[in-house]
Amino acid sequence: MAVNLTDLSLPQLEGLKAQLDQEVEFLTTSIGQFKVVQTKYVEAKDSLNVLNKNNKGKELLVPLTSSMYVPGTLNDVEHCLVDVGTGYYVEKNVEDSKAFFKRKIDFLTKQIEKIQPALQEKHAMKQAVIEVMNVKIQQLQQSQQSSQMTKA
Amino acid sequence: MADAIQKKLKVELEKYTQMQKDVSKSMSARQKLETQLTENNIVKEELDLLDSSNIVYKLIGPVLVKQELDEAKATVAKRLEYINGEIQRYETLLKDMEKKSEQHREVLSSLQQEFQKAQGLAIGKV
Repeated sequence: MAVNLTDLSLPQLEGLKAQLDQEVEFLTTSIGQFKVVQTKYVEAKDSLNVLNKNNKGKELLVPLTSSMYVPGTLNDVEHCLVDVGTGYYVEKNVEDSKAFFKRKIDFLTKQIEKIQPALQEKHAMKQAVIEVMNVKIQQLQQSQQSSQMTKA
Repeated sequence: MADAIQKKLKVELEKYTQMQKDVSKSMSARQKLETQLTENNIVKEELDLLDSSNIVYKLIGPVLVKQELDEAKATVAKRLEYINGEIQRYETLLKDMEKKSEQHREVLSSLQQEFQKAQGLAIGKV
């Protein structure tokens, strides 16, 4: 940025700060959302561990609604149905599903790593703007005081 | 004189704010398309990784319907094509609007100057 912060007026700095505030908030919520989705994928990947040969044929309760369950047996421990987005579901075997979730988790990690430096940069910029604003406000107060003194 | 210009200024200003509203509307529509584009690209990547042993289902309402992999791929490809076309359309639309608002801003500032001049004259007369 070629513009020197100290050259800007207080209202301009105020505007800049508001803009940076907005950007910081946007990036922060983005990272938060990424983390939420990532946890979901991690949980899904972990629960796939239950689908192994040892658990084949075991009884379980299937939730038909959130308040009603029916008994069932675990018949197929090799396959599961994965949501790949925009309404498409794919039947994959357990290994492929794990690979799918790992891919998603890695993708999200990369995205978060991409955003993090940008967020830090914006944060530092905001801090700099606030500092300059404080200095300006102090200067303003001092000049006001001294003009009052001369008046009195 | 000043009153007439003020009235005109007000009308033009209203037109301008309406234009700004349209611009931001198109902007958010474009952003939505961008999101859809990324989403569909991710699905396309996933579908490309599959082979004929994988069964693909499409969620229609609350029902999962079996669909051929090739058909799903074709649908997603068509969607991507459509979204890209729409983004292009919005791009030109936005450029056009940008130009128009630029012109409008000029009209507004010249009107403002005229108004100030007329006001100065009116005060001078009194």
